Amino acid sequence: MKKTAFLFVLSLVTCFAFAQKKLVTTSATISFDATTSIDALPKATNKTVIASLATKTGDIAFEAAIKNFAFTNPKIQEHFNGEGWMNSDKFATATFKGKITDLTKVNFSKNGSYSVPVSGTLMIHGESNPVTSTATIVVEGKKISTSSNFSIALEDYKVKGGAIGAGKVAKNPTITVQADFN
Amino acid sequence: MRKKVFITLFVLLALGIAGIVYVFNLKYADSKKETADFTVNASTFINEFAGDNTLANKKYSEKIISVSGRVSSTEQADTTINIKMEDSTTGNYIIFAFQNQYLKEAKQINEGDSVVIKGSCSGGIYSEILESSSVSFKRCTLMEKVK
Repeated sequence: MKKTAFLFVLSLVTCFAFAQKKLVTTSATISFDATTSIDALPKATNKTVIASLATKTGDIAFEAAIKNFAFTNPKIQEHFNGEGWMNSDKFATATFKGKITDLTKVNFSKNGSYSVPVSGTLMIHGESNPVTSTATIVVEGKKISTSSNFSIALEDYKVKGGAIGAGKVAKNPTITVQADFN
Repeated sequence: MRKKVFITLFVLLALGIAGIVYVFNLKYADSKKETADFTVNASTFINEFAGDNTLANKKYSEKIISVSGRVSSTEQADTTINIKMEDSTTGNYIIFAFQNQYLKEAKQINEGDSVVIKGSCSGGIYSEILESSSVSFKRCTLMEKVK
């Protein structure tokens, strides 16, 4: 009886400790796709994004070094980082700070796939704007995977350029975020 | 006269189209074959960024660098693996994302391995999440591995 009670308390403590955990990875990925029907080149992925998820509070944060978005074409990468576009010498990172707005939609202690609402502030090119999206959280043992897709308006982040007007870069690129916490 | 104008215009148009096609088809060189602009040791390199991030960024950003050091961890990044060299005292680190044709090399690297990795340096940033600084690399390839 004593042993059962001990195991019960132990499992509760373990669950509680797990529920409070702040998970961090330095290998989250963010991809953006600004391709159009006349230009298939403006798309890139950054595989070294720093991300955190606090399972108790639902706080989520991302930090991405702009220069580590890898393009296939050197000229496009040069334009992307240049003063006329992301100006990555001045604005070295893009960040997101937000939270899961309804934590009842996910159980971090139970395996499964959960769809959760997320909102927060996205800062790109030194400009901050509110963002609301839906994220998918997959719990598989100790591994928690999160992903989300949404689009942004480049105009909101004061990213301008002739290529947007000429239809070579999408005005509303799609962003895909993936973070695996082990 | 008309014929000359027509030929000139045609040549200019052809050159313009050739230029556009050339730029659209540009691709990054194979990192394994690129010559390194700098050859550095991981801990010295990390300290250089920690000492003066602005200066180090000016010196190393977008340069091809060959880094030697001990692998502190490997991390799953979507379907691929990133390699990390971390200063355990400060938490500052270098992280390497591999070039597409060399993704398999990253999977053969283990924690504790002494390696030389070459790639394009994307510079250093300070992370508010980690409260430490990091230097990231893209298009990397494994040059040497000593267990």
